[in-house]
Amino acid sequence: MTTNGMRHKLLDLGGGAHALAIQILGNADDAADAVQDAFATVLGKPEAYDDRKGPLKPWFLRVVRNRCLDQLRRQRPNDLPVEELVDTGYNPEQALQIAQQDAALKRAMAAISVDQRQIITLRDYLDLTYAEIAEVLRIAQGTVMSRLHRARLALKEALDVDIR
Amino acid sequence: MSTSDRTKLIDEHVGEQLSGYVDGELTQQERQRVEVHCSSCKECESSLVELRALRERVGKSQLSEFGQDVWRERMDDTVVGTSRGFGWLLLIGFALVAAGIGIFEFIFNSSMSLDEKLLLGAGYLGLALLFLSVLRQRLIERKTDKYKDVEI
Repeated sequence: MTTNGMRHKLLDLGGGAHALAIQILGNADDAADAVQDAFATVLGKPEAYDDRKGPLKPWFLRVVRNRCLDQLRRQRPNDLPVEELVDTGYNPEQALQIAQQDAALKRAMAAISVDQRQIITLRDYLDLTYAEIAEVLRIAQGTVMSRLHRARLALKEALDVDIR
Repeated sequence: MSTSDRTKLIDEHVGEQLSGYVDGELTQQERQRVEVHCSSCKECESSLVELRALRERVGKSQLSEFGQDVWRERMDDTVVGTSRGFGWLLLIGFALVAAGIGIFEFIFNSSMSLDEKLLLGAGYLGLALLFLSVLRQRLIERKTDKYKDVEI
């Protein structure tokens, strides 16, 4: 794939990749930096992606996830600001609306583990198949369903607790 | 399906297969199993409805507000940053080679006397030290200045 073709496809994937990075890093700015690093990696070596091995989306999300894990390794423990797990955006009116709509979900997502947030984001937000999720997370495809189910139950419980 | 098989399906909760069902990731046989079980188990039927609602809620949420414009800008920054880094590398390489040739020519091939060489050398060395000192100060300021991103 040419650099220009790759660039166009990556533009479409930026938002979803950012959502995943936010769930891992807990911070919209750090997440954007991780996505930008991933852009630099991929655009610097577009031939690293082989389209015969599968679609670009899970491959790129894996690159983003690796950049996030690199960032986490450099950060001190307990640096994760869970209150920023959902980006509030730039526009204050939009941010308020989003915050009102998603406040409960945001708190519930913050209450579950990073692994659980990742798998829910990959399936329910980014609409990846189980095979693609297994590729991004580097886990056996057979374990995706059980992990995802446990994550959903945890999220549901966190939402129920939030309502009470 | 025999009556005993059907009874077994109704008795055993389908657990994680509910998620697989919601996601359309089950085989036809597994799907049937979930459907048969849920038709008789209110608990699993209710879980199925809740899982669908949860999935929809996450899907419709706004986890990232950054649009394509932001990513286009960031991508451009990446390209500019890479080319600028390469440009600096070339420039520094050229400057080092040029300085090396200049110093070699000055010491070994110049027709100046030793006193003149020492005097001129001291002048150049002084300029170089001043430059390095200012450069070091600027780099420290750039690294530690809390207000460097403030736009006036």
